[in-house]
Amino acid sequence: MTEENQNQELTEDEKQLFGQLLCEDQNDLTDFNEARRNFLKQITLAGGGILAMQMFGGEVFARSINDPLNAELPVNLENAVNVAFKVNGVKKSLDVDSRMTLLDTLRERLQLTGSKKGCDHGQCGACTVIVDGKRVLSCLTLAATCTGKSVTTIEGLAKGGELHPMQAAFLKHDGFQCGYCTPGQICSAVALMTEAKNGEVSYVTPDVRVKPGSLQLTDNEIRERMSGNICRCGAYPNIVDAIKEVHSGKAVAQTWDFVDQKQSTQI
Amino acid sequence: MSEPKKAIGQSINRVDGLLKVTGAATYATDYKLKNTAHAIIFKSTIAAGKITGIDTSEAEKAPGVLAVITHKNAPKLNEKGGIRGGAFLQSNIIEFHGQHIGMVVAETFEQARYATRLVKVSYEKAEPKVDFEKHQKEAVLPKNNMDAVRGDVETAFRDAEYKIEAVYETPIEHHHPMETHSTIAFWEGDKVTLYNGSQIVNGAQGAAASTLGIKPENVRIVTPFIGGGFGSKGGQWANLVLAAVAAKAVNRPVKLALTRQQMFNSVGLRQRNHQKMRLAATKDGKLTVLAHETTTHCAINNEFVEPCGDCSKVMYEVPNSLISYKVVPMNIILPTYTRGPGKSTGSFALESAMDELAYQLKMDPIEFRLKNEPAKDPSNGKPWSSRTTVQCLQEGAKAFGWEKRKIEPRQNKQGEYLIGYGVACGTYPARQQNSSAIVKLIRKGTEVKATIELAASDLGTGSNTIIAQTASDALGLPINKITVKIGDSDLPPAAGSVGSVGAASFSNAVNDACIKITDELIAKSGKQFFVRPTAATMMLTEKLTEFETRVDAKAPADAGNYSSHSFNANFAEVWVNSMTGMVKVPRFLAVTGAGKILNPKTARSQIIGGNVWGIGMALTEESVLDPRWGNFVTRSLAEYHVPSNLDIGTIETIFIDEKDTIPNKLGVKGIGEVGIVGVAAAVANAIFNATGKRVRDLPITPDKLL
Amino acid sequence: MRPFKYSVTSNVNSATKMLTANPNAKFLAGGTNILDLMKEDVERPDELVDITQLSLTLIKPITEGMNKGGVSIGGLGKNTGTANHPLIRQSFPLLTQAILAGASAQIRNMATNGGNLNQRTRCPYFYEVSMPCNKREPGTGCGALEGINRMHAVFGWSENCVAVHPSDMCVALAALDAVVKVQGANGQIRSVPFADYHRLPGDTPQKDNNLNQGELITSIEIPKNNFAPKSYYLKVRDRASYAFALVSVAAAIEMNANQIIQARVAMGGVAHKPWRAFEAEKFLAGKEATEANFRQAAEIEMKQAKPLEHNKFKIELGTRAIVLALTKAMNGGKAS
Repeated sequence: MTEENQNQELTEDEKQLFGQLLCEDQNDLTDFNEARRNFLKQITLAGGGILAMQMFGGEVFARSINDPLNAELPVNLENAVNVAFKVNGVKKSLDVDSRMTLLDTLRERLQLTGSKKGCDHGQCGACTVIVDGKRVLSCLTLAATCTGKSVTTIEGLAKGGELHPMQAAFLKHDGFQCGYCTPGQICSAVALMTEAKNGEVSYVTPDVRVKPGSLQLTDNEIRERMSGNICRCGAYPNIVDAIKEVHSGKAVAQTWDFVDQKQSTQI
Repeated sequence: MSEPKKAIGQSINRVDGLLKVTGAATYATDYKLKNTAHAIIFKSTIAAGKITGIDTSEAEKAPGVLAVITHKNAPKLNEKGGIRGGAFLQSNIIEFHGQHIGMVVAETFEQARYATRLVKVSYEKAEPKVDFEKHQKEAVLPKNNMDAVRGDVETAFRDAEYKIEAVYETPIEHHHPMETHSTIAFWEGDKVTLYNGSQIVNGAQGAAASTLGIKPENVRIVTPFIGGGFGSKGGQWANLVLAAVAAKAVNRPVKLALTRQQMFNSVGLRQRNHQKMRLAATKDGKLTVLAHETTTHCAINNEFVEPCGDCSKVMYEVPNSLISYKVVPMNIILPTYTRGPGKSTGSFALESAMDELAYQLKMDPIEFRLKNEPAKDPSNGKPWSSRTTVQCLQEGAKAFGWEKRKIEPRQNKQGEYLIGYGVACGTYPARQQNSSAIVKLIRKGTEVKATIELAASDLGTGSNTIIAQTASDALGLPINKITVKIGDSDLPPAAGSVGSVGAASFSNAVNDACIKITDELIAKSGKQFFVRPTAATMMLTEKLTEFETRVDAKAPADAGNYSSHSFNANFAEVWVNSMTGMVKVPRFLAVTGAGKILNPKTARSQIIGGNVWGIGMALTEESVLDPRWGNFVTRSLAEYHVPSNLDIGTIETIFIDEKDTIPNKLGVKGIGEVGIVGVAAAVANAIFNATGKRVRDLPITPDKLL
Repeated sequence: MRPFKYSVTSNVNSATKMLTANPNAKFLAGGTNILDLMKEDVERPDELVDITQLSLTLIKPITEGMNKGGVSIGGLGKNTGTANHPLIRQSFPLLTQAILAGASAQIRNMATNGGNLNQRTRCPYFYEVSMPCNKREPGTGCGALEGINRMHAVFGWSENCVAVHPSDMCVALAALDAVVKVQGANGQIRSVPFADYHRLPGDTPQKDNNLNQGELITSIEIPKNNFAPKSYYLKVRDRASYAFALVSVAAAIEMNANQIIQARVAMGGVAHKPWRAFEAEKFLAGKEATEANFRQAAEIEMKQAKPLEHNKFKIELGTRAIVLALTKAMNGGKAS
């Protein structure tokens, strides 16, 4: 059986949620054209109508949305360094302990808890964010080094009332289970699209001497390039499908089979 | 209102998926509480002995430090309160390397981390028992005896013409959920709230309360999202109660997250298993002997034994059978349940041995298995509620192109690669456990909405989604009118997401609650109906604004008269680089009979996830101890190789569409565990088929195939 | 992580002076290794000098001097940019493959070329501060010598240290006879041949390389060569990606008809420094490019190896890896 998606409009609750989650400026991180965006919008809305807002009565969101700039200064700040940078399009300026990583700054000071700490040592990719267009590990980036830079986190990908196409594709393809590595996976995958467009090669690229130009990614290319993002739930095949769909702009079917018991006993 | 399409069986997206893809899902440490302090645990650097001195003065003076808590000043905790492996900080005794010996609480994470480095500890070292090779001969019968004997194994084995005797080794493995075990604790008077990833919500509540010496109603566990668990967040470990201790000590909310390095000796592990197998068969492939003897280790003062013989008890018809266990207490952290406990490791031994014997018989391994299909459960004589092994094997063979496999190894070469196919079966018991649930209906005008409440958990398994689907059908409401509230101990008590009981327990409880509320609404109306109306319709026609009910659901009374299991057959295609020994698994197929599949999309993800775990078990995962000191030298995710994306190829999933309502009314059997069972053996068997090399110790790293 | 002062400079001279002035200061470039080690309490600088703003990022053809026709790579260029630079991909594909075999896309986006050279060993005894390690704390002993040393050296180790250098990029640079340009506090630039840059442990395993305190890698030069059509970087590891090498081999061959003019072979995962297989190279010069010759060359090289208790497999694996890398180089270096 191949999945049949039924199109469904966003509910009021979902629209409200999107509104709250939206990035605060309209700079496009990636240059998906309108046609592809529309195609992907269909995917976003496909499947079950989801009522995320209802799950926790909105209290979870109210907390982070109403107080987004809470950068309360901890007492006893040592070796304080001022960092002035842009996070999801919004200017931020705060003093941090010189030891503070970008990851901890996002999570503890800017209340952007989407980026996750999986290992804190650059071995899992859960903290992946996009800095000046490149995917990097926020756990191995000192906040102090971020002055003048532009940081995009998972919270900054949805724009203009829509999920980023990569978010929509992860949702459709169930590219996660527990969801903890997901923000890092998605940020990584978004940056990967730009890398492919720029013709960047990988260790599994058959011939690295070919002239740089936009690259069509094979499954193995996607796998190698996403190997810096560990998923312990084992959602890799679904992650590959989600990325393939966004990369190609064509729907990738999710397939599984059901076998009727009676049928099989006759064999 | 139009009648909605049936939700159960639909492949809808996860209801909590939007939160997960936007970064808005809140895991334990994502809550912002005013004035939160940060705690970091520090650990012993010896595996056995005593702390003779612990100097915290420098740490206490470090900037931002609020408290340093060790066994010298920690409050008394109930060591037998249900926290796995003990509560710690209760004495100076050290029983394993990396045991918690204290924690620093500070204003910031950076300050706490630094101050832990300033604590000076002196020890009186004892000779640690950490070398399994050396100590396994001291193994004894476990206190919890799980041995089972049938027939006369020794005589039958001695006289058999076709037989295999071999030892299969599986290493220590770690769960490594992506979210390390993390907690935010805060006290309001006598009550403590613990944001903490908990597979068993009520279990965490009970263990925390009992260990802290307070009433369960004074502990609230909040766990709407769990960043993976795989058994390690089933029972709760000391870090949970230590967070509460720290919060009490500084009278502020405290965030305590284990570091990745600390995960190796804080939250259990899958222990090493030495499995001796003896299998014998007649010339025409009828099994005559199956002996499965496991030797393993447990904590020095705490027993846990993984039931490695479970698959061997139920998979095949065999007159002479022996399942036995021996265990040696060692200075290694307490082992615990790890995905497919006993079955994943045990099936590696059993299904590898079956493959070896089939090869000796020059028989196709599928044919060999089919010849030994048991008509009833050989371990207890009970009838199967249903058994799908035959269908799994036959359907899988067809879908996988098994006929292309050559019985002799090394027949399929491409460039420097040797290609092989392997098959292996698996099983996991299906059970429904007690769960309560409340359903609340609210009508505003012509709109009816429902809220479902129970202390279930969702660690990526999809509980939220299947609960919503179940309620949708049972109430006659579209999914988007249903709110699911789980992951909170204030809700009605429910089973845990462990042992593949979650889906069956939660969905049946919710279904029962929805049927009950419909019954009550009908009774309340006093009317007779030709066609049973839905609860939603009743709310509208009776013009009710609010109505609720609660149910305490149990498994069907006669479920215990049957043997109920999920079954599978796994097919692996491997490409072994004949020069380097590196193994690829470009194609894998799992065929699973797991009763009613509530949501094929999330069910498929669970199966794939189990398969990935099994491939990791087969090829990459191993925790290695230094036998001199008992420390793990594989001490981070750089050395402990969870499979990466490139390690995984195409995975195909087939479900056997079975209707088995004996174990529970909805016929749900559970899939979280069975997905890993048999996987490692399928890969190892494929490697034999490719190379002619039988590797009996996991993981099969390149050096073992040179 | 100990408290430290964070300093920034945008000038090479002042950077080197700052480090010379404070012996407890370290440079901060990509940060992927130093921050990891500081969190582990292995590195304990009291000052980090952020050098990411120095303009040492260019990759350009060398137009004069000894290495004319070669390429100069900025010490602070990122690994990703280096691997993907058209000049490197075209003329030094071995370096591209080696860089891309290491770490993950995210880490390669952060890590710098100079930092890659200076990364420290991944030996678990080095990382675990409660364990003995002469590299971390001279005089405490080597935990790995009689410990779990499956990942450790088979060439050039001493009783004091059996750790291996973890870089892939450096293995290619060793094979390509790169030259490291280093500037000290006096403003002078000195050239260090790649083979002399990293050290064997001897009795000073705490010193990974011959860089002096305060010296900064400004660039790495690769001389012109004719290896581009026939080179390959092979990495054998326990996981398909994102894992350190059990053994890796950088192989490059220059042919004249059927005859090998010269071959270059360097190995990773086998020694305290990128291991240049000079014996194998010597054997191959002038020979035909046959599998038998590759095998004989590999065996000659691996004969010198002295394995430890848990890494005896590296002899056979190293032999096979050399043969396979040379074979793949002959076939145009295509990935499989």
